[in-house]
Amino acid sequence: MTDPHELTPAERRAFGSLPRETEPPRGLEDHTVALLQARGMLAVPLRPVAGARRWQPMWLVGAMAASLAVFASGIAVGQYLGARSATIAAAVGMRSTVAEQARQVQQTGAAYVAALAALLQHADTSDAPDRVRAREAAVEALAAAAQEVTRFAPNDPLAAAVLRGLADRQRVASPQQPSRTVVWY
Amino acid sequence: MDQVLAGDEAAFRQLYRRHSPRLYQLVLRLLGGHEADAEDAVQDTWLKATERLGSFRWECAFGTWLCAIGLNVAREQMRRHGRRPEAAWPEEMDPPAAAPLDLVDAMDLEKALTQLPDGYRTVLVLHDVEGYTHEEIGTALGIAPGTSKSQLFWARQAVRAALGSRQKGTIA
Repeated sequence: MTDPHELTPAERRAFGSLPRETEPPRGLEDHTVALLQARGMLAVPLRPVAGARRWQPMWLVGAMAASLAVFASGIAVGQYLGARSATIAAAVGMRSTVAEQARQVQQTGAAYVAALAALLQHADTSDAPDRVRAREAAVEALAAAAQEVTRFAPNDPLAAAVLRGLADRQRVASPQQPSRTVVWY
Repeated sequence: MDQVLAGDEAAFRQLYRRHSPRLYQLVLRLLGGHEADAEDAVQDTWLKATERLGSFRWECAFGTWLCAIGLNVAREQMRRHGRRPEAAWPEEMDPPAAAPLDLVDAMDLEKALTQLPDGYRTVLVLHDVEGYTHEEIGTALGIAPGTSKSQLFWARQAVRAALGSRQKGTIA
């Protein structure tokens, strides 16, 4: 007679055949990551994760408008300041305190954004070559600004994210470059 | 592991994908097959594990450590839902008497496990599925090894009774 305290071979086989692993639902990983990020236990990503927003055409339209604004505002500001300040850089350099220089950055930044906003209203009616030039100018200005910010504040996450985004954009534009190798460990 | 401690999301996702299938299956079975409860348990387990990751010392495998946390989380969840993780067979019912089986279908066995009282199911899953010893179960659940043995015996009997009646129903 079989000992009821012990498993029979058939019972043992049945227990042994039960699955030890089951893939959890797909969304659970993202929920768990979001929960940990909300609790400050994981860093909030600077780079969009898979499936999240990346550099979109709308951004490029904005960049085009930005570049045109850079040109337009440069002319306007130059005319307005006249002999008082030949260039913004010179004006910044003449400031004696950090607070004054910061204020100067704020003022010129506000003028930059305002010019972009004005330009955006005309973006749809601009000629294609103008749009291309505008986009390139906007991107260059953005890159230069981000680089300056990272020099000033090397750990600034927003500037780092902008630079990474610009680098991604450059990689997309130059597909002949070898792609990065992902190392799993 | 150090990267996860530093808050690296990619490293965490890698760790999650490697260990969650086993964790999910364990808590799903312990919680009687309730998927929503099992998902909550997995999430809570990772939360606690990440909080305590700094104290993990590789004295056991990471998966084992994680599943031990998962076991406690599942039992906490049983309590939150008004269930008793230490529950034995209802007093008003006689423990079923059943003969050991020579033919067992795995799917029927999985269903029979869901019908057990939480306490019996926990001991049975830990011993007969996960391979814990009675001493390890006693330590994990805060019960004596003898209690674990006793609960295992009655849990097996209950499963045999459930499977036996199912087989009779199939034959009839």
